Amino acid sequence: MTPPLAEIYLVEPWWMQIVKGLVFFLIVFNFVPITLMAERKILGRFQGRYGPNRVGPGGWFQAIADIGKLLGKQQFSPRYAQRFLYVLAPCLSVIAAAGTVAIIPFGPVVDIFGVQTGLYGIDVSVGILYVFALGAISFYGLMLGGWASSNKYSFLGAMRSAAQLISYEAAQGMALVGVVITAQSLSLTEIVEGQKGMWYFIPQFFGMIIFIIAGFAESNRAPFALPEGEAEIIGGYGTEYGGGRFANYYMAEYLEVVVISFLTITLFFGGWQLPFGIDPPHWVDPFVVIFKALFMIFFFIWIRATLPALRYDQLMSFGWKILLPLATLNTLVTAILVVTL
Amino acid sequence: MSQFFFFLTAIIAVAGAIGVVTLRNPFYSVLSLVCHLFALAGLFLLLQAEFVAFAQVVVYAGAVMVLYVFVVGYVGGDDETVHPWDGPAQKGIAFVFAGMLFLELCLAILGSGLKALDTRGAGFVPGFGSPGDIGELLLTKFLFAFEAASVLLLVAAVGAVVLARRRGGIHDEEQRLSFTEFMRPIGTGTTAEGVGTRDAGINLPAPAAPAAPRSDRETLPTGGERP
Repeated sequence: MTPPLAEIYLVEPWWMQIVKGLVFFLIVFNFVPITLMAERKILGRFQGRYGPNRVGPGGWFQAIADIGKLLGKQQFSPRYAQRFLYVLAPCLSVIAAAGTVAIIPFGPVVDIFGVQTGLYGIDVSVGILYVFALGAISFYGLMLGGWASSNKYSFLGAMRSAAQLISYEAAQGMALVGVVITAQSLSLTEIVEGQKGMWYFIPQFFGMIIFIIAGFAESNRAPFALPEGEAEIIGGYGTEYGGGRFANYYMAEYLEVVVISFLTITLFFGGWQLPFGIDPPHWVDPFVVIFKALFMIFFFIWIRATLPALRYDQLMSFGWKILLPLATLNTLVTAILVVTL
Repeated sequence: MSQFFFFLTAIIAVAGAIGVVTLRNPFYSVLSLVCHLFALAGLFLLLQAEFVAFAQVVVYAGAVMVLYVFVVGYVGGDDETVHPWDGPAQKGIAFVFAGMLFLELCLAILGSGLKALDTRGAGFVPGFGSPGDIGELLLTKFLFAFEAASVLLLVAAVGAVVLARRRGGIHDEEQRLSFTEFMRPIGTGTTAEGVGTRDAGINLPAPAAPAAPRSDRETLPTGGERP
């Protein structure tokens, strides 16, 4: 019997699955403090100041110091909070963000010490649907956090974030249908293989734009950072959170930025492939993916430094009245082109 | 291994279902239903139906239950528990329905389910349950049902928008355009008529604003509620 979530091509021995699971998780996980630090440094440059430069060489240990401080704080919870859900909610957020790491492909199937190994966590036939299933979990992470805090501001913030999340998930899903039609597969490795001649950001240009915008909204990032409207709803769903639980939410947000960067380069920028027909040996592939992802993360930070935040009603009407119809149109045109050409 | 996961997910599913009807706090009831749906998705996964499993999570847990969570979150506070109405009529009806359902399930299980106990299920064909397989079935064998369902969904979506507009749920003045406005008899009382910016059908002096267009959209005050 093939295991559930059966792979399309092969099943590795169990020890290899554990090893590669650990390795990929640790690689992507370590992007979180790097992103955090890089963001503060780069934002500093954008704003004509230094950014953190006290802890460690060049200030690069600041993130570790911050995390240490947060974990050392008292695990406070409000008196009227729904205790169980209050504790559970940040964990759900992290689970949802970390689960997506499993399907990011770092390379094709390669030979490691005589074992055929796919350089990805799992290669599911449902591919992208897996991402959206985890998006559902991340919704509960936000929503339960806001509701369980028993605080009006938390609850309103959670409603905002959750509404934003599901609105832009619709547009994101429609934008990806174009990619799926072009690649004729949902599996992420096959989508990367399908980009051999031309990366999909050329035929699926609008799909890419919509996907990236929706990605900003999903990770609650800067132009869509409504949940943290300090003047209106304090800190959004995280108002009552502090210490380690706040660190969890924070980590989930940055992990989501990292994961969306990886997904973007996988879906639109050729994954592990290099342009101009350069075909390096397979051990280079993961480095290509990581390098591209770093560019994407920089782009995220760049946008945050550049664009002002939207108003909430603008945000919603932009998602539903502009992005979603555009994405639908993109799907339609792609389908017609694929069938006729 | 698969037996272990079967019993794990089955127990969670049953526990979740029981939680939905026994928990007093509606919010926890909804969450219990979410648990149940996730466990069902796990059962589908064990049956190698990957697409159905993930569609289950995306559609039910990610869309339908999200709506429930919103509604219960807004309407039901944590101190407002569900109070069942204990009238004798309701109890009687409940027993009748429960009995009918029990009978039906007994018939179904005795009639077909027990036969399968000692047999092996249909063999697993590679590709079964994959999106490609299901898509092909939907567009060939079940094309009519598929299209009918999509038309139904479209009608429902359009209907939702129309209903939301009619109740004034959408405050965008520019978009307030529906035939129901023109069917309302003149002079049945809006604020605009009350303050004289709209001709109520009686001979009013001309409004102060010169050449105000005789259209609702233009003359209603911002965010004005229609009766």
